Amino acid sequence: MGLRAYVVRRCLQLVVTFWAFFTLLFVLFRMMPGDPTSMFIMDGMTPEQREQRIAELGLNEPLHVQYIEYVRQLLTGDFGQSFIYNDPVTSIIAVRFMNTIVLMATALIFAYIIGITFGALMGWWRDSRFERGGIVVTLVARSSPEFWVGIVLLSVFVFWLGWFPSSGMRTTGGELGGGFVARYGSLDFLRHLFLPALTGAIAYLATPTLLMRSTMLDVLNADFIEIKKAEGLPERTVLYKHAARNSILPIVTVAAIATGTAMGGSVVIETVFNWPGMGREMVSAVNNNDYPLAMAAFFLMGSVVIIMNFVADLAYVYLDPRVEYE
Amino acid sequence: MTLLDIDGLKTYYGADDGWVRATDDASLSIERGETVGLVGESGSGKTTLAKSIIRLLPDNAEIVDGSIEFDGTEITELSDKELRRQIRWSEISMIPQNAMNGFDPVYTVGDQIVEVIRHHEDDTSKAEARERGRELFDDLGIDPDRIDDYPHQFSGGMAQRAMIALALALSPSLVLADEPTTALDVVIQDRILETIKEMQEELNSAMIMITHDMSVVSETCDRIAVVYGGRIVEIADAETIITNPRHPYTLGLRNAFPDISDDDQELISIPGTPPELVDPGEGCRFAPRCPFAEEECWEVTPQPESYGDGHQVECHRADEIEHLQAEAGKKETWREQDLGERKPAETVDEQAAEAEVELDD
Repeated sequence: MGLRAYVVRRCLQLVVTFWAFFTLLFVLFRMMPGDPTSMFIMDGMTPEQREQRIAELGLNEPLHVQYIEYVRQLLTGDFGQSFIYNDPVTSIIAVRFMNTIVLMATALIFAYIIGITFGALMGWWRDSRFERGGIVVTLVARSSPEFWVGIVLLSVFVFWLGWFPSSGMRTTGGELGGGFVARYGSLDFLRHLFLPALTGAIAYLATPTLLMRSTMLDVLNADFIEIKKAEGLPERTVLYKHAARNSILPIVTVAAIATGTAMGGSVVIETVFNWPGMGREMVSAVNNNDYPLAMAAFFLMGSVVIIMNFVADLAYVYLDPRVEYE
Repeated sequence: MTLLDIDGLKTYYGADDGWVRATDDASLSIERGETVGLVGESGSGKTTLAKSIIRLLPDNAEIVDGSIEFDGTEITELSDKELRRQIRWSEISMIPQNAMNGFDPVYTVGDQIVEVIRHHEDDTSKAEARERGRELFDDLGIDPDRIDDYPHQFSGGMAQRAMIALALALSPSLVLADEPTTALDVVIQDRILETIKEMQEELNSAMIMITHDMSVVSETCDRIAVVYGGRIVEIADAETIITNPRHPYTLGLRNAFPDISDDDQELISIPGTPPELVDPGEGCRFAPRCPFAEEECWEVTPQPESYGDGHQVECHRADEIEHLQAEAGKKETWREQDLGERKPAETVDEQAAEAEVELDD
């Protein structure tokens, strides 16, 4: 089976996965305990007002009609009106979602670049002081709760040294630029981004570091490493071009899963640093029974996981020629 | 003309309880274009001996004494960089036991051949290196177009051929073949050995063939060195080792291999286990397992004695050749319960003689 056929088939699988996912979401929200209408209909409404409100929301329709309407809305990117903000959910969420993505992508990219590099060196210099020290540092980073790391960083860099702003995404009164670059590229934004991204990077660092180290140890025992050394290739070439290149394969899968976890785990970091992202919005939407907003938040986070797994599968085909397209 | 001259080589591994003397006072010289077989059990030190030649040893191993002179260059004195540039692969290359694992799985075989050629020859272009790879493939009986395949797309025999192509890419003067055919079935094995022979003659490369298989060495090698307990206990031309060996261990090894022309032959294994190489002390290392050991064998390490025509044996009783050869063919000579009986009274202890000798590596 050729590569193209594999990609096409994987795309079809993606569609099916998405369908299963949003259907499950639909069912879940309607299976939640209690009358769904009671979650968002104000007390003190007359029964007539109540009926009218339910009809407005389409909740008096049979389930399959509701489902079709739900799918139609998803396909057009329409998540309905927020109960609390009374704005379209899409406009509330688009910005927050991007804020979370920027924060978490920065954290993850740093965590994985640093983790892969250090993990590879730890495996290469086995039994050295570097490896032993590295393991301790990694385990400490892994065992520290995100909120605690955040608070420590805040105390040191904000309240003691005063190098970074304490919270939010930009200085109050700062210009809300129009374009993506203006919004996320300004020095002011980067100064705000640094501490929360560092907190995330510390939290996510351990997985790639330890995994990279242990796969390196396996790969270094392989016969071909000895042959590459016998070929007279310099150590650097053997380390990066051969040993690390082979060790990176399992990291790809883990990175995809970690991205999904990071989207959910961002709640803590966003709360500590008052970051206007999706995680916080999702929690408050659930607390406020803001049903369409919560659903849209879940939908987006789930989508990130599904898409990242898809990307990881395709990346794997490129990275490992042994993958069978079957 | 001597290509390689190993003299008094000692390669030890650092272990918790002392040095493991994997190669202990080994001397061996090899002529240009010659094939020498290193035969011995697992753990006898034959691979350590071979890998010492390109200093491809683990971190805890050390060449503590002896010299390795290759074509006028003292290898033990080269810096790592000189070793990589002057010796490794350009002069001495190797063929591993399992070729499939000898290639990096994420690059094509062609890329790996090009990589090593270009690393050693700055002036060779990528296209030229690739063309040379294709020619080598053709010489070795592989379709040149398969050079763009990944290692896992090859069959075992073909991977071994591709590995030979890689090993010969820089026309080395010496090839270290570490059981190059063990992973293959017998028919393929024969063809691969033939191919290696042909290519070797064409390039006039010398070869060290490490194996535990007597039939492989007898077919391919000019000379055979029998390795036991880190020492070369007997060395002679292949014919002599097969038909007229003098060391009891060689006699025992011969018993353990079937002779296809002899229907009634009963295979006889050597009882006991290979020796502990941590601080082995004085005495012949084979004495605990040797049916002919005498008091002297336990106390004095035998030195190589010459028996003419390059035949050297480390055995105190090698003079009694007729007696040894006659007795060694009998099964009762090698009975396990006889072990240690001939040991002088004061040194008798519980000899570990539980496992039968296993000749797998």
